[in-house]
Amino acid sequence: MRGLELVVEPGEAVGIAGPNGSGKTTLIRTAATLVSTNRGSLEVLGQIVGKRDLVSTRRAIGLIGHQPTLIPELTLVENLSHVARLAGVDIARVPRALEVVGLDEASDRRAEACSFGMKRRVEIAHLLLTRPQLLLLDEAASGLDESARDLIEALVGSVRRRGGGCIVVSHDRAQLTELCSRVASLADGRLDTAR
Amino acid sequence: MSFWNQALEIARVDLTVERRIGNTLRITLPFAVVALMVFPLALDLRLALVSTIGIGVFWALGILFGMQVALRQSATDTRERRDLQALLGVDPAARFVGRLLSGGVLMSGFLLIVLLAMVVLFDPDVPNGGWPVLTMSTFLVAIGLTELGTLAGEVTSGLSNRTVLASLIVAPLALPLIIGASQSVGALSRDTGILPWILLLIASDLALAVAGVALAQPLEEATR
Amino acid sequence: MTRVRMLMGLAALAVGVGLWFALTAPPDALQGEYSRLLGIHPPAMWVAFIAFGVTALGSIMWLVKKTEWWDRLAATSVEVGVIFTAIGLFTGMVWGQAVWGTPWDWQDPRLMSTAVMFFVYLGYLALRNAIDDPTIRARRSAILGTIAVVQVPLVYFSVNLFRTLHQGPSIRPDGSTMPDEMLIAMLVNMGALMVVYLALLVARLDVARTEAAAAPESAIAGEAVRPPRLNEVEDV
Repeated sequence: MRGLELVVEPGEAVGIAGPNGSGKTTLIRTAATLVSTNRGSLEVLGQIVGKRDLVSTRRAIGLIGHQPTLIPELTLVENLSHVARLAGVDIARVPRALEVVGLDEASDRRAEACSFGMKRRVEIAHLLLTRPQLLLLDEAASGLDESARDLIEALVGSVRRRGGGCIVVSHDRAQLTELCSRVASLADGRLDTAR
Repeated sequence: MSFWNQALEIARVDLTVERRIGNTLRITLPFAVVALMVFPLALDLRLALVSTIGIGVFWALGILFGMQVALRQSATDTRERRDLQALLGVDPAARFVGRLLSGGVLMSGFLLIVLLAMVVLFDPDVPNGGWPVLTMSTFLVAIGLTELGTLAGEVTSGLSNRTVLASLIVAPLALPLIIGASQSVGALSRDTGILPWILLLIASDLALAVAGVALAQPLEEATR
Repeated sequence: MTRVRMLMGLAALAVGVGLWFALTAPPDALQGEYSRLLGIHPPAMWVAFIAFGVTALGSIMWLVKKTEWWDRLAATSVEVGVIFTAIGLFTGMVWGQAVWGTPWDWQDPRLMSTAVMFFVYLGYLALRNAIDDPTIRARRSAILGTIAVVQVPLVYFSVNLFRTLHQGPSIRPDGSTMPDEMLIAMLVNMGALMVVYLALLVARLDVARTEAAAAPESAIAGEAVRPPRLNEVEDV
């Protein structure tokens, strides 16, 4: 990445479009503080990212990446409860979260027996529980049906209304234009039209 | 969530997954017992040897098959799951301790059953006072092997040849465990002290535990 | 469920009768009370042989007809057969310790071949557990189940083929080598354990049928997923 400068304001959703291999996933994972920069600085949620601030900063970040994070041998409700416990969220809210994403009747199904779209919905349910201030979506809507994409849109809207920010990465520019307040292009390690 | 609660939660889920996959009980354990049966056949049934080699065969097979328990599928995290755990604020050291707890339970059970099978099949020559020493050594080896396997699994995380590569890393590093375990029982028949060998096992376990906790964070960053 | 209860009741009764015969038969002059193991060890192994034979039948029939029931029969029979083999091995080791002075004789071909047979069928169960797709699971198990049965005659005839500590066949075409009371006790217990086998088989088949009916694969695709409640995302 070369001379990348990106600012996401509270309540804003910034789309990043780019071809395969342009560094979109690296950008998202850097913003999530999962990848460290060897030059420059990263400020997330008002905090300059250094080792001491990592845990509290990370807990305010929500990420949906390429591959689902569910444990295949656990049921959907067990997966969500596990994540809720680690996040310090009351697990009594889990059934409600599954209901809102439309998976209450499939909650006892093992993740390995569920479709990609169902697993995505569970990840969305997790973010509805944890209410992140910074939402990062890496090709999150790819391969999803219309109702699941509507859920992503509802999630982005919810984060923005709470004053949080979103970075949405996709190779589908049309999808980004619908979802985001502005769209930047990433190519050859450079980002254009970002403030 | 506190450090220990994180560790316990990870251990709980790990054991639940392993119970559902069942590789340790259904595959690794029967395989280890079949391997026990191979030795006397390979020795051309020189049965006078069988009783004398029984304990040694147990340690050798315990280490080799125990590595497969330590590197089991349920103890593997994908990159995405590790990212999720990082964002949830899971301390990498807590993950190590959690895996140690669940792996320790599985490994202890595994080694004890293989020990029992060895006793039945080999009728080993155990010196006076040897059974408590053998049992204690088995637990200490179980802990050490779990620590080694967990560390090696982290180092080789995400690699396609993870299991084989991790086994290669664990095998030589397990030598202090084998030496401490075999010499502790051997010391009884030689009428020398067992304490240095038990201390070697305890020291190895402690050193590996400290290494696992101290290196957890750098290992996590190295595997991203 | 009523059928299973009936069979379980019958099995309990049969085991009771078999126990009575085993405990009232006169003890062997050399082996003493340990000879009563005649009431469990040979019958358990016989039932195991029959169980694995049923598995082979089920496997072959599945390969011919591709009907789910035959696969379930084959797998269920292995589960029960493995239990009886374990009982046979354990009681054999107890008997061996008492009579031969060792629970395990490496040079005994029947003992070794029985142990090998036990592990092969454990492998059969592990194989089934590792495969999710029911058709692939049935096909691969059927092939293994058909091949694995070869061990049954090998185990049975091992005492004839090799010199061994193990007792030879007690019942031969020219008659039996044991006193009538012992023979009757053994035969009654063989019958009793067959009833136990049938009861366990039927019970397990019922459970397998229920599991199959409850499996997600039998649900209509998509029916478990409902439209999300987009207006309620902030009420979680």
